[in-house]
Amino acid sequence: MENVLEVRDIVTRFGVDVVHDGVSFAVQRGEVVALIGGSGTGKSVLLKEMIGLLRPTSGSVHLLGTDVCRSSEEEMNGLRRRFGMLFQDGALFSSLSVAENIAVPLREHTDLPDALIAPLVGFKLSLVGLSPDTGRKTPAELSGGMRKRVALARALALEPEILFLDEPTSGLDPIGARAFDSLVRALSDSLGLTVFMVTHDLDTLLSIIDRTIALSTGKVIADGPVAAVMRSDHPWIQEYFSARAPHEEGNR
Amino acid sequence: MWIAPELESGANVLYLQGRWRLAHVPGIAAEVAALRLAGDHCVLDGSRLEELDTAAGFVLLRRLAELGCIARTVEVRQMAEAHARLLTLVRERMAAPSVASPTRHRGAIERVGRAAVLVGRILRAQVAFLGRVGLELAALLRRPGLFRLKETVSQFETVTLDAIGIAALVTFLIGIVFAYLLGVQAQRFGAAIFVVDGVGLAICRELSPILVAVIVAGRSGAAFTAQIGSMKVQEETDAIRTLGLSPIQVLVVPRLLAIMTGLPLLVFVGDLAGIAGGMLIASLQLDISPTAFLARLHTVLPLKAVVVGLVKAPVFAAFIALIACRMGLAVARDARSVGEHTTSTVVQSIVWVIVLDALFAVVLQRLGI
Repeated sequence: MENVLEVRDIVTRFGVDVVHDGVSFAVQRGEVVALIGGSGTGKSVLLKEMIGLLRPTSGSVHLLGTDVCRSSEEEMNGLRRRFGMLFQDGALFSSLSVAENIAVPLREHTDLPDALIAPLVGFKLSLVGLSPDTGRKTPAELSGGMRKRVALARALALEPEILFLDEPTSGLDPIGARAFDSLVRALSDSLGLTVFMVTHDLDTLLSIIDRTIALSTGKVIADGPVAAVMRSDHPWIQEYFSARAPHEEGNR
Repeated sequence: MWIAPELESGANVLYLQGRWRLAHVPGIAAEVAALRLAGDHCVLDGSRLEELDTAAGFVLLRRLAELGCIARTVEVRQMAEAHARLLTLVRERMAAPSVASPTRHRGAIERVGRAAVLVGRILRAQVAFLGRVGLELAALLRRPGLFRLKETVSQFETVTLDAIGIAALVTFLIGIVFAYLLGVQAQRFGAAIFVVDGVGLAICRELSPILVAVIVAGRSGAAFTAQIGSMKVQEETDAIRTLGLSPIQVLVVPRLLAIMTGLPLLVFVGDLAGIAGGMLIASLQLDISPTAFLARLHTVLPLKAVVVGLVKAPVFAAFIALIACRMGLAVARDARSVGEHTTSTVVQSIVWVIVLDALFAVVLQRLGI
């Protein structure tokens, strides 16, 4: 399979703080990959470096064949149409209605006439499981789960090949979180979408993820299917997965 | 070029060709719109299809639905599994009707009416807010321990000390302009020395208080609304309330006191700077030496003119602070609201400063002050 994302020897320093100390991994087309790690291990920083919002101190990121760290603004703009990003709290434009939010990338980057944009926006809304009537509301009127769905619809507007998600289920109730998980998985399966997410949510890991990459003290400490990562004897991973154990016992 | 319709043994067969991607959707949509079918059955052939995404799939299936081809009557053949799966997803999700966004246009009379109601509502809320702040101030008198000295001093610093430069600069320049214009007229009558009277009186009684109040309204009033508004967005005001504190006591009272003590001081700085500006022009253009200027000023500028200017300042300040803080607390939970309320604060404050100044002029005139 073809690699759509390659991260090589990323080093990131903020002053004297070393956040990443040689991080490398690759993601293949169609995979659903999760990046896990404790607070402050630079997961979100890494995500921002992958999509070119931040520049690593050294190392390289190849996204869909483009070197993100060394390409011109023009090349980056071409690349930006080929991936979608879902920010943690949705980052919807609060001055626009939901429908206008989803229409923004379509208006800016395609020559679609308005007569075609409106039905497409309605379709995108139902694609993420919202009623087309939601389009008339403003982001402030939506619940947390709906905001994430709208943000997902906006991220999917340009038919991206790869989708980045920053903690997609944080702030959602367990039912909403599971529903969002299965939505992401269903879209990934049907659209052949590659998904790369930063998450804290163990249930997400265990249900929809093909591969897990664990980050600790600036390095990749485990990379593989969840079951294999769970067996790692790294103390942080042990602690991370054992944090769930009491829960499960309580359920039985 | 995107779609080749053919009749094969009486059945409509649509050969989809090429890369059906979002970028090509306008072209695809045009071809699809021209599509005609015999009957409501059709077969989609994917053997020549290279790529397919949801936007393109949606455009096709929507048109087919218009032509009467629904899930039962559309057959898919020789299509890559991924493409077939995508079409299935699109068909499942597209059932809902498309959105129409009705924007109702309001007539002129309705708009005027709504605006009037809004102004009434703002005024009423303002009076209610004044009452609440009054109660909190009374509570402060009974329990001086509630007073937040640190917060008040830090607000005083940003409102007053940091504004000295801009307040002095603006009044200095106005002093220059005023003395210059007045001097040109007075010189014609050989009455150049009266420029001192004019500059002293105008600056101290009217110009300095008004200008400084407008600057503070734009500078600190806007800042108050934006600060309190973003705290409201972040639910900080709710946190304050939950901790058993009063947002008015914590946020409003320090700002109110800081600005009420600060503005008279700034007006005084403005008085000095404005007179200095007048003095500069007097000596450069009218040959009135600074010594002569000051001697004349001593005899002609009544103390009460200065006092009136300084007394107006805390009243202006109170209005600015109350408007700014109330607008901040009225912010809804989104970023746009912060902007709207900040704008509204500045406009309301400036209008009120000028209205109050007019009231002062009339009342003081009647009282003979």
